[in-house]
Amino acid sequence: MITLSASILAYLFFPGGMFAIIFGLLLLGMERIAVARFQGRIGPPIFQNLFDVIKLRTKEFLVPEDATNRLMFIIAPFFGFGGMMTAIFILPVSGVYDGAGASSDLVVLIYLMALPAVSHIFGGSSSGSTYAAIAVSREAILMFAYEITFVIVLFTVALQAGAGDGALFSLKGIVDYQVRNGSFVHDLKMIPAFVAFVIFMLATLEVPPFHIAENDGDVMKGYYMEYSGMPLAVFELTHALKLLVLITVLQIFFMPGLAGGSIVVNLLWYMMKSAAIVIGIALVHASMPSFRVDQAFKFLMIVPVFLALLSLGLVLFL
Amino acid sequence: MLSRYAVKSPWLFRINTGSCNGCDVELATTALIPRYDVERLGCKYTGSPKHADIVLVTGPITARSESYLIRMLDEIPEPRVVVAIGICPISGGVYRDSYSIRGPLDKFVEVDVNVSGCPIRPQSILDGVAQAIGIWKEKIKIFHKA
Repeated sequence: MITLSASILAYLFFPGGMFAIIFGLLLLGMERIAVARFQGRIGPPIFQNLFDVIKLRTKEFLVPEDATNRLMFIIAPFFGFGGMMTAIFILPVSGVYDGAGASSDLVVLIYLMALPAVSHIFGGSSSGSTYAAIAVSREAILMFAYEITFVIVLFTVALQAGAGDGALFSLKGIVDYQVRNGSFVHDLKMIPAFVAFVIFMLATLEVPPFHIAENDGDVMKGYYMEYSGMPLAVFELTHALKLLVLITVLQIFFMPGLAGGSIVVNLLWYMMKSAAIVIGIALVHASMPSFRVDQAFKFLMIVPVFLALLSLGLVLFL
Repeated sequence: MLSRYAVKSPWLFRINTGSCNGCDVELATTALIPRYDVERLGCKYTGSPKHADIVLVTGPITARSESYLIRMLDEIPEPRVVVAIGICPISGGVYRDSYSIRGPLDKFVEVDVNVSGCPIRPQSILDGVAQAIGIWKEKIKIFHKA
């Protein structure tokens, strides 16, 4: 009973739920500020994305008359949101929270990570908009390309953490292994996998150069085209959670080092690492132009897959 | 309560109804260059009319763009604020009384703010957006009472 209520609290409030949403939105606001500073502007206040969500609450929700599937159009945003809420609940934060404790949560993560893209595809394709249709086809193409990288990196990390005894599919186990034996980011064998994972992260978050599916100058807002009001706010929250989930996964896989014994210190350390990663993302965001979809597909199929396979080979045979 | 925080995130949408592009260039530079960064006010240009809060209309509404303008304005969810940018949508400007002009804008929709000039100055755009935010706040309150 105690574990159940602790799980509910974890899901709704502390590492997941409220904390994750607010922290994710703050990270998004920070990214916007960092991009603005890199471009020599002042940028919005850090709470900007929180204000955006509140604003969208006050707006009307319109369902287009020529939507091909009205029900799917309305419920599509919640797939991705639910997926990300679950993902942040099962992810451990080193030294703060142990995760949901399932023994093979790494495999669950593969499925959960695909859900935001799936909700974009469902929502966009049921909205009946031409822009959304183009964006959906692009998103699907990109998804095929980047999921391969993710699965290979995941196996590499699992094998390395297994230390010769086969793969270790428990996130908590991976964190514990690295706390005992040093973070993977210091390990030369894992550097290519780290770079591949960062590229996967940029592609999933659709920051430039991978913002092909929601590029303003090209397909307007892509799959968000027909959304307004509440469902658009849910998409915003999903995006914030997705950013936080990816950053947390990056920290679990490659840098879960502890800063000290106490929970507060480790939590602050986790937040500082997250902020540093977000600023790195913003630097890429501010300095890159956009790929065409065929260029992005080729790039994603060649560079990160090769890097991830290189790491996998090194881990397997060295 | 909501309206106090909601007004910090006005999303802008541009409609060009046959403008000479002068005002559009001013609008684009107002948002994008470091000197007049409107993102400080939380503004952001959106690509979709369904995300818009403040609509910036430029151009004298030519016969050809009339039906698109009406359709676009219908797609913008309430509460919204309409701003006429430049002299053209306000009175027709140099195109007034032309055979191909269906303007001014207030024939089609209730205009909340007029920002005049040919082309408008960036400072007056910022002023117009700031005034529009004030009107928008009142509109949110009325919308949620009704």
